[in-house]
Amino acid sequence: MMLEVDALTTRYGALTALHDASLRVDAGEVVALVGPNGAGKTTLLASVVGLLQPSSGTIRFAGTTITGNDPAANLAAGLALVPERRRIFKDLTVAENLRLAGNTVAKSLRKPRMEQMAELFPVLREKWDVSAGYLSGGQAQQLAVARALMSEPKLLLLDEPCLGLSPTMVDVIFELIDTLRAQGRTILVVEQQAQRVLTIADRGYVLRTGEIVAEGAGPDLAGRPDLFEAYVGGSS
Amino acid sequence: MTDVVQNLIDGLGAGSTYALLAVGVSMLFGVMHLVNFAHGELLTVGAYVIYGMRSNGISWLAVIPVAIASAVVLSMLIELVAFRRVRSASAFTLLLTSFAIEILSHAAWRIGVSSTPRRYEAPQIAFKVVEVGPFNIEVWDVISIAVAVACFAGTAIMLRTTMFGLAVRAASEDFDAARLMGVKANRVISGAFAFAGLLAGIAGALWLVRRGQADPRMGAEPLLKAVIAAIIGGLGSLPGAVVGGLSLGVAEVFFRSWLPSDLQGLTDSAVFVVIAVLFVVRPQGLFDVETAERV
Amino acid sequence: MTGTTASAATAPSRPTAPASMRRLALASLVANLVLLLVVFAGGRLYASFGSSARDLLVVDLLVNLVLVLGFQVFIGNTGVLSFGHLGIASVGAYTMALLAVPADRKAVLIPNAPWGIPEIELHPFVASLIAIGVGVLVALLLGLVAARTSGLAATMITLAFLAIVRQVAENRKDLTGGAQNLSSIPRLDGWSWALVGAAIAVTVAVLFRSSRTGRLAVATREDELAAGAMGIEVFSPRLIAFVVGGAVVTLGGVLRVQSLGSIGPSQFSFEFTILILAMLVVGGMRTVTGAIVGTVFITVGKEVTRFLGDGPDFLGFRWPVIDGLPDLFLAGSLLVVLLTRPAGLLGEFDLGAWLRRRVRGSTSPSGDSSAVTEDEVAPVPASTTGALRTDGLGVTFGGFIAVDEVTMRVEPGTIHGLIGPNGAGKTTFVNLLTGLVTPTEGTVHLGELELNGAPYRRARAGISRTFQNLRVFPALSVRENVAVVDLVAHAHRSHREGVGVDRLLVLAGLAELAERPASTLDYGNQRRLEIARAAALRPDYLLLDEPTSGMSSAESLEMVGHVRRVATAIGAGVLVIDHDLGFITNICDRITVLDQGAVLAEGTPDEIQRDPRVIEAYLGSGHG
Repeated sequence: MMLEVDALTTRYGALTALHDASLRVDAGEVVALVGPNGAGKTTLLASVVGLLQPSSGTIRFAGTTITGNDPAANLAAGLALVPERRRIFKDLTVAENLRLAGNTVAKSLRKPRMEQMAELFPVLREKWDVSAGYLSGGQAQQLAVARALMSEPKLLLLDEPCLGLSPTMVDVIFELIDTLRAQGRTILVVEQQAQRVLTIADRGYVLRTGEIVAEGAGPDLAGRPDLFEAYVGGSS
Repeated sequence: MTDVVQNLIDGLGAGSTYALLAVGVSMLFGVMHLVNFAHGELLTVGAYVIYGMRSNGISWLAVIPVAIASAVVLSMLIELVAFRRVRSASAFTLLLTSFAIEILSHAAWRIGVSSTPRRYEAPQIAFKVVEVGPFNIEVWDVISIAVAVACFAGTAIMLRTTMFGLAVRAASEDFDAARLMGVKANRVISGAFAFAGLLAGIAGALWLVRRGQADPRMGAEPLLKAVIAAIIGGLGSLPGAVVGGLSLGVAEVFFRSWLPSDLQGLTDSAVFVVIAVLFVVRPQGLFDVETAERV
Repeated sequence: MTGTTASAATAPSRPTAPASMRRLALASLVANLVLLLVVFAGGRLYASFGSSARDLLVVDLLVNLVLVLGFQVFIGNTGVLSFGHLGIASVGAYTMALLAVPADRKAVLIPNAPWGIPEIELHPFVASLIAIGVGVLVALLLGLVAARTSGLAATMITLAFLAIVRQVAENRKDLTGGAQNLSSIPRLDGWSWALVGAAIAVTVAVLFRSSRTGRLAVATREDELAAGAMGIEVFSPRLIAFVVGGAVVTLGGVLRVQSLGSIGPSQFSFEFTILILAMLVVGGMRTVTGAIVGTVFITVGKEVTRFLGDGPDFLGFRWPVIDGLPDLFLAGSLLVVLLTRPAGLLGEFDLGAWLRRRVRGSTSPSGDSSAVTEDEVAPVPASTTGALRTDGLGVTFGGFIAVDEVTMRVEPGTIHGLIGPNGAGKTTFVNLLTGLVTPTEGTVHLGELELNGAPYRRARAGISRTFQNLRVFPALSVRENVAVVDLVAHAHRSHREGVGVDRLLVLAGLAELAERPASTLDYGNQRRLEIARAAALRPDYLLLDEPTSGMSSAESLEMVGHVRRVATAIGAGVLVIDHDLGFITNICDRITVLDQGAVLAEGTPDEIQRDPRVIEAYLGSGHG
């Protein structure tokens, strides 16, 4: 088992954003985490990588407990997050963004890795020495993914990679997920477009108001009525 | 016309010290939103190191590197002992903490040494004047400007090429995103304090060689100027800090030459008034720094 | 400040909250004056065992307390740091000295002073009053400049002002005597005048805190953005606090030079400012009790360390002479407090409020609001302002169209839903309506009135809001969160009938928690408090931004009933933004769906639920 989250609870002040959430990701899987806005998806990912401190529960990664570790330690262990809204460094060039992202890997590996990223994302090569602030939304998202891949993570966490992208760019991102899967990478993806992401995922979880309310094989879950209910609310 | 050029040279000499300090102030503001009024104390420690070593007859060539190193060490020490504990506190608390450190330092020097100034002899080169055409050029001014320019260039290269430089720029823009890239918060902040300390140490050395004395409160005034320079340039903007520092130095010299002799003492006031007007017209400073604050 | 009495005369139906506020102010005033007397008595006792230097120490403490309270009025109530107030005090003190120093002395000290000053010789009391007037004027001018800029720049301008005053005093030798002190100021002897001065300062500080302006200033301190959304404008309460603080420090400055008998440029220095600020910060800047305790703490500490630093024979051996020990104590205690208790030793503690809670706690546990029950809440007449509508409203951020020509209409008295997936532009749309974001195209109308300008103007025009990420005023009591907005309603929404603070609290189920600080409430209660606060503005429309965010299904269902009750009670229409389709369809009369910044669909809940486009936008299509 690659990632195992057990009964994780995270609070922001008075708000319990995540309540006793448990999930697992096995090596080589693409796992989708879906749920309505405000369900706690981003909180879960941020707690896993250590940007937020959970108030209870445990996180195990590749057999070791990593609860409470800081993001740098988790990255070194092989956990990389592509954050919501991309958060690329706009004042740095594309190349500088990538070089910084490679700060945890051996110096000799940096150049070849950057070259790999340029192969994988030809758009980035075109904008290599341009400030990242000038990239379009789709280009910026590709840079954000490339940045995370620079550390050659064992598990890639994607938070809303299609947010604010045009339909064609959304297609590109979904193709990218396919490509990464074909390379044998393990991915946990949070996505707004629930049905679409579930159809390509091996397994999926539905999160609602901080709790996991459904789980199962991706395509099955996509067709199940409780998914729809999670979005429109069980209260009607 | 010769007056204008002469003033410009004098002003750049003074302004380069402000600018070196201002770059450090601005960098610290970028990474942790702190306006560090304790930064001036790095000049004070340098001065006492110079006094201590010179009174034991040690060569200036050995004294200056040690003085600069002492500023670096003190800067890192202040971060470790004080600012690390209030890193996520409000700007208000951060600002007052830096003032508390400043007066703590004043008191420590008074108790540890004395409140009366300690004098040391300046080397001859500090006051050497060369006549070039119609201009009287102080050699030390030229050295100061040259060293400062080298420091600015070095800083620019450091920020572009080194991993630490990239981390500082990234952390200034979005600290959490930088942490996601594996940048260690403690390391980048501590490094920024060290680098700011280095620039302050160099600024101090340039200033102190001529000053000839060490006293507990000496750091306050140049630091105030540096903070004002950093604010003129837009806090967080390093090119802004350089421009702010140089223009403050030049403005002071020009005001001094324009004001009638009985109002010479009001130079600072006149400069402050001009700056206040500037703030009212352009509250964000000369250089806009994009902040990541969202509703 | 005078507006309070004027509006009281024209509006006969004052709500009950100010009455309880007035009692609280009275309790605080009495308690803090008693505390002052206790401090004074302690000081006199200490002085009676020692030399006349100890008399001076007591006077010094009282005069410093006046200065500390002057800073407290501004910094404590607005949360903005000022270094400039001693500059104001300095100008006032020089004014007093120039007017009151005997003419024969001035002929020697400053024979060339302009404006006929050498001939003037006023009674010290008259001179002091004029000086305070000058202090107020200077504070007003400086405040106008500082308030034009944002936080840090404002602080730096006040710091620059302090430096300027000193330089001018040093250089205008004809007027001030320069670095040679201007002496022969008529001196005040004894100590009773200092006690009176401190009592005046305590009174002003307590009354300001409980005044209309003081309460509005505190709301802006707690959350500037939320205050604006509740119709509170930031500029004038801050400016008034700056000026009142300026008047109090000028009083302190005038008393100080009369106790010393002379004044010089370095008297109101930056170092002295730090001493006064340390007294304020160490004790706790938010309450008068904190200011008193801080002043005593630092004064006593400095006295003790001065004694030890002088190298006394004490506890059986001779201590070394340590010059600067009091400064070390000052800096050390400031630093320790900032690192461990940034809110000061006392934090929010006010002696009067504490005693009142103790007394009331044993007599009537639920307070005034126990008289009101939910049954008595009769709805007020509904708003007759007309529809809230947008026409082609849109905004573009650097080429990205966040909101794309949205035209929609919310009918009065209805509950209208706005939904859409993450990134659809809902939040930006709310920001456009409330004025946090300026549109690049289109208009917003409330009835016949076009809404534009800053958020506080739009709030006063009739739309109040809640926030997705809770933004209550954390340090204020639950009641005060609502009551301070009720103040705004009295001034700007008096054409609408109000429900009253107590009834709003009952409606929100918060009556029992009314005296608790809002930050201690749990999540659901904070949400309901935000709605009660927004309702207190007597809006024509309530804007609820994701009111069920972070709530379970059961809590959401409860929220449905709650929003309906509040809307009916205050007679307002509601625009509710939410991602929760279940909540929205339960509560709304009509629904608008946003996707990619544009209106995707509009209709009744039934129509929306059946619309395949909506389902696709929400769940993402299976294509590809």
